[in-house]
Amino acid sequence: MIVSNNPQATEQNNQEQTHFGFKTVDKTQKVNMVKDVFQSVAAKYDIMNDLMSMGIHRLWKRYTIDCSGVRAGHKVLDLAGGTGDLTAKFSRIVGESGQVVLADINDAMLKVGRDKLRDLGVVGNVDYVQANAEELPFPDNTFDIITIAFGLRNVTDKDKALASMYRVLKPGGRLLVLEFSKPTNELLNKAYDAYSFHLLPKIGQLVANDADSYQYLAESIRMHPEQEVLKSMMEAVGFEQTTYQNLTGGIVALHRGFKF
Amino acid sequence: MPFAQLVSSGLERALNKLLQLDPDSAAKLRKLKGRNLQVRVRELPWPLIFHFSDEISLGVVVSEGSESARPDCLIELNLETLPLLQDSSQLSALIQQQKLILIGDIYVAQSFSNLIKELDIDWEEQLAKVTNDVFAHQTFHSAKSVMLQSQDFIQQSREIWAERLTKEGAVGINQQTLDQFSEDVVKLRSATDRLAARLAILEKAHKA
Ligand SMILES: C[S@@+](CC[C@H](N)C(=O)[O-])C[C@H]1O[C@@H](n2cnc3c(N)ncnc32)[C@H](O)[C@@H]1O
Repeated sequence: MIVSNNPQATEQNNQEQTHFGFKTVDKTQKVNMVKDVFQSVAAKYDIMNDLMSMGIHRLWKRYTIDCSGVRAGHKVLDLAGGTGDLTAKFSRIVGESGQVVLADINDAMLKVGRDKLRDLGVVGNVDYVQANAEELPFPDNTFDIITIAFGLRNVTDKDKALASMYRVLKPGGRLLVLEFSKPTNELLNKAYDAYSFHLLPKIGQLVANDADSYQYLAESIRMHPEQEVLKSMMEAVGFEQTTYQNLTGGIVALHRGFKF
Repeated sequence: MPFAQLVSSGLERALNKLLQLDPDSAAKLRKLKGRNLQVRVRELPWPLIFHFSDEISLGVVVSEGSESARPDCLIELNLETLPLLQDSSQLSALIQQQKLILIGDIYVAQSFSNLIKELDIDWEEQLAKVTNDVFAHQTFHSAKSVMLQSQDFIQQSREIWAERLTKEGAVGINQQTLDQFSEDVVKLRSATDRLAARLAILEKAHKA
């Protein structure tokens, strides 16, 4: 149910409500609304990703892997992993002695991911799990590395999700959150806003015949906590040595935190 | 834009493409499966790490990720030392002269070097896959003859000029030499034109 269009509305304002892009909706509804968005974009997700970011998302993801310290034998959780770009790379590096779990709340995204990875010959050490980031169905201290790329902003209760990630991470393990953030330069910020609110939904309409979903994506980017706020949120649930790195002028930021 | 990742991504793609073109490379790559090799070229801003599986995954070693364990093998060297690695009998001399630092399992470095050195790609066959056999054969024939003629031409010119310049007396050229030179240029040009025409047809066919 949509009760407000106030862009400043946050989930902290009200226990029962949260934002869905710029709209404020019942918390219970958001999960399904996000699900609908990704159900509808799943088939065209990869091509849209390339188009929208002009291919740069691949470099942001490579940087995430370079910062992960991954090596053979590691157990990695690619959370909100969608169509599995990170999983494919991790799977090759962790090898037969390691394991990668691609987890996503949406079965349509998981299915596209599984088919894609199979076509790429990525098999053997990858498991596919449908799961909500807020309640991860894994035992405590399971993973050496957790990544969540462009996923956290879609999660209804981000604090709960971060706490859940902390729980399933092994001591010594690290979390990497790759997410759209706030450009550091005001001019870039303006240009980026113009791009995401005017051009992005149009590209979405043209290529995926779905302007609404891409309007939501643009709004959800704007509503996502900026760099310092997310860093404090990670610290609040227990992460230590938290840092972040702005990429492409802060359009995207990579946050990192350890569990000791 | 993460520039280092752009470079590593391009390199990774090119390397894997080359490996795919050599049917024997898969078996050689299998020997390295699960291992990794870090290469620090002193003139380059970032060290690279090669992870071996069914293909090569290339990463950039960033300080944010460097708390990870030591690689299976690490080599550090200058750009000028790189070609010298071809001759494996030189390795200990290079290490002694501190031109090369090698830490860890030397087998990884050697197997990787062999993999690249022994790449055997049948370019004519690759071209035949996108055109037809006759066309590919002819194009390669033209390319080879251009290569040979260019080499001949360069060699002849070098000899003529060496002779002229070392001989005492004027550096003048007689009519016969000049005619020969012009004839060679014309021959070479028509061979190059033929090759260019073939490549243009190929490009057109590929686009269509
Ligand atoms: C923008 S996609 C990112 C996919 C992939 N990580 C990438 O970078 O290409 C966001 C993903 O988050 C998933 N997602 C949204 N809410 C989630 C939740 N609460 N728990 C787990 N996954 C969620 C969506 O289904 C979608 O696949």
